[in-house]
Amino acid sequence: MIQARQLMLRYPTGKIALSGITLHFPKGSFIYLTGESGAGKSSLLRCLYGHVRPTSGQLSVQDLDMRLSQEHQVRKLRRHIGIIFQDHRLLFSRTVFENVALPLRVQNWKPDRLVSRARKVLEFVGLEDRLWSFPEALSGGEQQRVAIARAMSTRPSLILADEPTGNLDIETARRIMDYLMELNRQGSTVIMATHDLQLMDTHPGELVRLHGGTLAEKVRHTSPADVE
Amino acid sequence: MRKPGGRTSPVNERSAPRLPGGFSLPPFGVHQWLALVIVCVALWVLGLLWLGMQAGSQWMGTWQHDVHFHVYMERGNQASLRRLADQLTLIPGVASVRIVSHQETATWLHGWLEGGAVDESELLRSLPGTVEVTPGAEAGEFLYSDIADEARRWGASLNRGELHLVQAQRWLADVERLLWLITLVLVLAMAIIISNTLRMTLLARADEIQLMRLLGANEWFVRMPFILEGMLLGAGAGLLAWVLLWPLILGASGWFAALGVSLNGFILLAPMVFGGGIAGSFGAWIATMRLSNENVATS
Repeated sequence: MIQARQLMLRYPTGKIALSGITLHFPKGSFIYLTGESGAGKSSLLRCLYGHVRPTSGQLSVQDLDMRLSQEHQVRKLRRHIGIIFQDHRLLFSRTVFENVALPLRVQNWKPDRLVSRARKVLEFVGLEDRLWSFPEALSGGEQQRVAIARAMSTRPSLILADEPTGNLDIETARRIMDYLMELNRQGSTVIMATHDLQLMDTHPGELVRLHGGTLAEKVRHTSPADVE
Repeated sequence: MRKPGGRTSPVNERSAPRLPGGFSLPPFGVHQWLALVIVCVALWVLGLLWLGMQAGSQWMGTWQHDVHFHVYMERGNQASLRRLADQLTLIPGVASVRIVSHQETATWLHGWLEGGAVDESELLRSLPGTVEVTPGAEAGEFLYSDIADEARRWGASLNRGELHLVQAQRWLADVERLLWLITLVLVLAMAIIISNTLRMTLLARADEIQLMRLLGANEWFVRMPFILEGMLLGAGAGLLAWVLLWPLILGASGWFAALGVSLNGFILLAPMVFGGGIAGSFGAWIATMRLSNENVATS
């Protein structure tokens, strides 16, 4: 599904965010991207959904060359990717329904199917009663769950989550992880950037650790002991 | 039992009117109102100018563009009148030439005299032979003098009064050209006003636009709502301007009737609404193009 070889990313400012990354994520895997702040986790995720293009090396996502592909090809790919942003990126002037239905509108779903689909995904995250609320009326955890509902609304084959549990209490974070695990069980590949390795106590997956923009470690594990 | 991640602080929830399908109406703020008023005033002025043009055209009797020149031959017989008509046909810019029959002249004279106690047969005998010349669309500015020269060669003369009509028509044509120029300039100005208004909206909704792109929306999906908004803004301003023309049309109708002018306000409805819509769409297109270019430049 995702293949990177000697991937390098340099921002226009000259900062090298990623260097010499070679990895392979098979379909259906659950990946934790970890590393210190500035290690390149978010940059790698941005490369995966084409927000930034690799400077050199190779990166292929669902058989699309992310370095050489055209903008319209990348946008087409994004329709198969659910993105959970670090800062939610919810539209505060729009209702929860409009936020969740936005990816569906982008994919030209028929209007009569939008409400039922939005209801269904909000039911999955336990927010079916907040369909017509505005995000400002929701707590941080609820906003994050709306962001998850939005990411899964189109049944994407790949979910990219950038610190989805950051700034959440442990109980809410575990709940969010349950949702992501369930999506993974349903067949989606999940790649999640996080600092919180304790999540792996209860939610096992493959660990990819970045350090200074390079790949420091890649471990398949099921418990925190593997990480130590 | 409290749900994980449940509500931490009670917030008074606001509600917004929803369109069928659950979507909210786009925001209509002070910038939109301002643009609507400015574009409405500009379109109202344009409508007024074109109404003035319509009144001027009607007043000069050229609404149907039925201008004819009349050449009179005092002592000519039918044969020489026919030869004059043939020569006049050869002048460039002449669309058609016909000899006004004696019968037609008699009918006209009868109507003109309104059955007064005048011996019409005496008058008819003294009336000259008449050739009616209709200028074509491509008639040049020297057509009138060409016809006058040809008439003089045959001992005939041209109706001098019709020269004023020609001059007035030329003046009116100049005014019309100027009016088209003013229309073009004002339409461009309206497009720029709407463009700047929508630019404010685009900046206010930059997050939404960026998000749509990240979710895989193509460029037309992103731009279309703004182009529709610009079109509706322009068309709405056009409709409002058209409605605001009516008090003037109705108020001045008595005065225009005395001049033999009957203004048709309905003829302006489609141009004002569609013109406003086109100006609005064009403005929105410019605004979204600028946004697109900036996006390319920063990425």
